[in-house]
Amino acid sequence: MIVLVTGGSGCGKSTWAEKLIASLPEENRIYIATMQVYDEESVRRVARHRAQRADKGFRTIECEKDLASADVPEGSIVLLEDLVNLMANEMFDGGDTGRIVPALHGLAEKCRHLVMVTNDVFSDGVAYAESTQGYLRQLADINRQAADLADCVVEVVYSIPVAVKGEVPCV
Amino acid sequence: MKLYIGGAYQGQEELARAENPGGEYYPDFHETIRHAVLLQGQEPREFARRFCEEHPRAIVIANEVGAGVVPMEAADRAFREAVGRALCIIAQQAEQVTRCVCGIGVRIK
Repeated sequence: MIVLVTGGSGCGKSTWAEKLIASLPEENRIYIATMQVYDEESVRRVARHRAQRADKGFRTIECEKDLASADVPEGSIVLLEDLVNLMANEMFDGGDTGRIVPALHGLAEKCRHLVMVTNDVFSDGVAYAESTQGYLRQLADINRQAADLADCVVEVVYSIPVAVKGEVPCV
Repeated sequence: MKLYIGGAYQGQEELARAENPGGEYYPDFHETIRHAVLLQGQEPREFARRFCEEHPRAIVIANEVGAGVVPMEAADRAFREAVGRALCIIAQQAEQVTRCVCGIGVRIK
């Protein structure tokens, strides 16, 4: 099963994605963490996420860029969090955004289950400078390709999962 | 307790009032959360839990504020995050959650 989870800031998408993983067999669970830790706020965020998944049996792989380089064994159950950070790191930190989608396909083939988390950052109606618009365009494109790859797409709205593609998996 | 949400001006308040005549309304609840968390320094989940305990029949009406680019200002980030965390608790407690899009209510719980 390949699932894409989206939603706004603080909407509970990580919590729901972790619940989904917890409903799957308890073996070979891998958490791919993409966020760069650079200030106190990100340190707190990482700490909160770590505490949240502490008892769920994940092995964490740090992967800020080049997703294909993450050493994920065949048959793993993977939670990839998240596409927004991965995209920002590839784009603004000397990476290559073009390798994200092929890497997602590679993961999808290798994993028993893959849950990808992304973020809805598209609905504030603000006209940003071109570099930010370019980022939004590319992120939207990656989201669409990830959705295409997924069996189901779920939007989490203040903790409530809403089906966007397919059915909401039971958690 | 019922929760009505939606983007700015999507008709969530009109719908809430139409569907719950004479109810105990809490409109613009995202601003109530801003006040409680950013001004008074309350923890968003704690604030929401206490609100649910004290107002079990509330009709809570709020804007969805988290679906944009992460703001540059820390206070703006904290606001969006706080609204998310608090409304997750309220959505869990509510017997009904309705999302309003262009004036049309979609029952998501």
